[in-house]
Amino acid sequence: MVEGRTPEAVVFPGSIDEVRAVVELAAAAGVPVIPWGGGTAAHVGAPPATPRPALVLALGRLNRLLEHEPGDLTATVEAGMTMAALQAALGARGQWLSLDPPDAERATIGGVIAANAAGPRRHLYGTARDLVLGLRIVTADGALVRGGGKVVKNVAGYDVPKLLIGSWGTLGVIVEVTLKLRPRPDEERLVAVPFERLKDAGAAVRAIAGSDLIPAAVELLDAEASATLGLPRPGGGTLVVGFDGFADQVRWQCEELARVVTPLGGRDVLALPADAWGRLARAARDAQPDPAALMKLVVLPAAVAETMEQGAAAARQRGLRSAWSASAGVGVVSAALFAPAGPPAVERVAAVLTEWRRLARAAGGHAVLERAPLAVKSVVPVWDDPGPAGRLMQRIKAELDPRHLFNPGRFVAGI
Amino acid sequence: MALPEPRRRALRQQLEAILGPGAVLSEPEELLVYESDGLTLFRALADFVVFPTSAEQVAEVVKLANREDLPFVARGAGTGLSGGCLPAEGGIVISLMRMNRILEIDYDNQLAVVEPGVVNLHLTWAVAPRGYYYAPDPSSQQACTIGGNVANNSGGPHTLKYGVTTNHVLGLEVVLPDGEIVWLGGRTREALGYDLAGVFVGSEGTFGIATKIVVRILRAPQAVKTVLAVFDRIEQASTAVSTIIARGLVPAAVEMIDQLTIQAVEDAFGCGYPRDAAAALLVEVDGLAVGLDAQAARVAEACRDAGAREVRTARDEAERQLLWKGRKSAFGAYGRVSPAYMVMDGVIPRTKLPYVLARVNEIVAAHGLRVGNVFHAGDGNLHPNILYDPRRPGEEARVLAAGAEIMRLCAEVGGSISGEHGIGLEKADFMPLIFSPADLDVMQRLKRAFNPTGRCNPGKVFPTRKGCGEAGAAAYRPHPLEAKGLAQRF
Repeated sequence: MVEGRTPEAVVFPGSIDEVRAVVELAAAAGVPVIPWGGGTAAHVGAPPATPRPALVLALGRLNRLLEHEPGDLTATVEAGMTMAALQAALGARGQWLSLDPPDAERATIGGVIAANAAGPRRHLYGTARDLVLGLRIVTADGALVRGGGKVVKNVAGYDVPKLLIGSWGTLGVIVEVTLKLRPRPDEERLVAVPFERLKDAGAAVRAIAGSDLIPAAVELLDAEASATLGLPRPGGGTLVVGFDGFADQVRWQCEELARVVTPLGGRDVLALPADAWGRLARAARDAQPDPAALMKLVVLPAAVAETMEQGAAAARQRGLRSAWSASAGVGVVSAALFAPAGPPAVERVAAVLTEWRRLARAAGGHAVLERAPLAVKSVVPVWDDPGPAGRLMQRIKAELDPRHLFNPGRFVAGI
Repeated sequence: MALPEPRRRALRQQLEAILGPGAVLSEPEELLVYESDGLTLFRALADFVVFPTSAEQVAEVVKLANREDLPFVARGAGTGLSGGCLPAEGGIVISLMRMNRILEIDYDNQLAVVEPGVVNLHLTWAVAPRGYYYAPDPSSQQACTIGGNVANNSGGPHTLKYGVTTNHVLGLEVVLPDGEIVWLGGRTREALGYDLAGVFVGSEGTFGIATKIVVRILRAPQAVKTVLAVFDRIEQASTAVSTIIARGLVPAAVEMIDQLTIQAVEDAFGCGYPRDAAAALLVEVDGLAVGLDAQAARVAEACRDAGAREVRTARDEAERQLLWKGRKSAFGAYGRVSPAYMVMDGVIPRTKLPYVLARVNEIVAAHGLRVGNVFHAGDGNLHPNILYDPRRPGEEARVLAAGAEIMRLCAEVGGSISGEHGIGLEKADFMPLIFSPADLDVMQRLKRAFNPTGRCNPGKVFPTRKGCGEAGAAAYRPHPLEAKGLAQRF
């Protein structure tokens, strides 16, 4: 299902040539193509204004690791390989891709790049834009095009990979990716620091950023989201910090963390189990079953705690529960809104989401309505207005996909 | 193709109306200063060089250029090494050197907003008292500007661990080639819609002119250790690079310096490199103080296992600075051993380093020339510097021929023809070595979206001649002033 309607057909090409043939056929027939990885982010996107019959192009059979040269710290992989399979193959040779989006068992590397998905380790290691060295795409006219390269440093030609990262399948079908890798750290540790007040946890985030610590992850969870990690429900929230590296570095950092956060109201430094890493990015949405809506708020890092507090208050005022988590050091906040089922809630849900978006904009950023029923999406836009840059985005779309073959109408600015 | 005098005078008046007095150059001897960048093989004269002080002035100049059908090109400090900021045939050079203010430093959000003419190192100086720095560190960082770094997506020694310019730019205010002022990206870590800031960085001045740049500033590492490893054979040094990486170490920098370069540097500055070494590796590890000695020891062990005859760690900051001075001033030191040199900028998979470096030296020798190598070995980013004397007939042609072979070699082993200097004019005709017509077509479309008329920095990045590798023949033409005996080349 895509935006409430069932696509007319799903195809599973087994080679790049087959992808090209499918795209050419669809282009000739004027049938929109929806590139599909693991389907973990299929709910993100605007409902098309005028639904047309569509073809889902599933990349799952293109799932091979093509090259991995440990001495070069690079790997080239087909787009349909899942993150879990990729990490397992790299891990067998002591390396990893420092990108940890949720749903690794289903999410494919191509989909992760198209959605610019990331997880808690983005704090230290960045996102796809810092890790993708090159890629190959099938364009709207069926051409196989390479952008970037296979070496770790490269400025030849325009940075086409940057354009594809986070383009949500609107410019081409990603079929192959070359990635920059890292050696696996000797040790990793995740610790939780409960705070009576979320505001103090926010101050602790800033203190960490200004300290000598080099955490891999700095996450801030409100009380609702904290519960998903099996933590005692704190009054205000929980700061979760991850460290990696050599054993003595990890040990020193845990001790130093206690010194930094205790004066600010951090009550304790609790060790978390290793599987908590994977739950962090889903902590808000998993706080209650069936969230009515999920929103991502991108704000300035220093504004995270306040945005979370004000956002939760906005929901409470309308009698709704919410849960909040954030990659606090980078300013990416995930919010989940919970509501009783049925039409009466739509208005309240929409009102809260509109207020959340206003908060994000006031904090120097923007919001993406990542998941909501169609009734809500018809009232609250999925994407913010990109302003004058939107016209440039439309021109790029018009140059690369003039007939709106790929994922039409689901991205920003009507793209 | 000089402009007719009445038109030149009229245009000058219009430019002065936009920019005020003292901000427009149009006399031939004034324009001469702006006829080339750091790659002096290529030169071309503009009709005007202008010095705006605001985005609005840049936009007005761009609109005028469009009305008058003149090409225009932005220019920073002119330290580029690919001819990227050269004027096309006449037109307007827009110098950003008067837009050199650091507008804002936001420590809470670890970012700074700067104008394009801010010198790279000056930003680090500004934030250093609070324990921060700006990570991209090209060797020209004392002179090059952040705007120029954005155009070329510049790197530097420490990009091995910290990434290149694009990894540190959050957003830009840009004057588009039609004169509209827009923001691409912003201050947050994720932008809305396509990553236009990411696409703009490295577009070599062909997508517009950045007038404000939001960059990340990083906390300076708690501690740094710098290791010098000395080798009797260059292959040993090459092997050591892969050995270090294969052992799971992530140094901040791994730089290689060969014998010719060491001797030039020692003659010029006396930085403490052994003159008889075939090659030296400068390896830096940084980060937490705890465990750093152990990391430096593991680097040293890897170098010894690869055959290093001597490995030592800088004892103090003064010795460390001296070693880095040797590395960063290598280009200047070549002046002592050769009247001119051309720096190449290929990238290869680092595991191919022993083979490629040997081939590079063979290629250059086969053309009867000498080469000095000083480069970012950890990234596989080669900088063969081909030494030559421009006064000797035919020597430039041989330099270009050797350069072309080196680019082909990099392409053959799966690498790239530029790691940080850009394509510019110099390598435009070599793009087909690594990109197919379909690849280039997508880039052309992208360019059309930003720069539909092509007036913004024309003639760069894309191949102009048919076929590949025939470049160079038109590289040097005697300058009109030179021909008239008004100027001479040094």
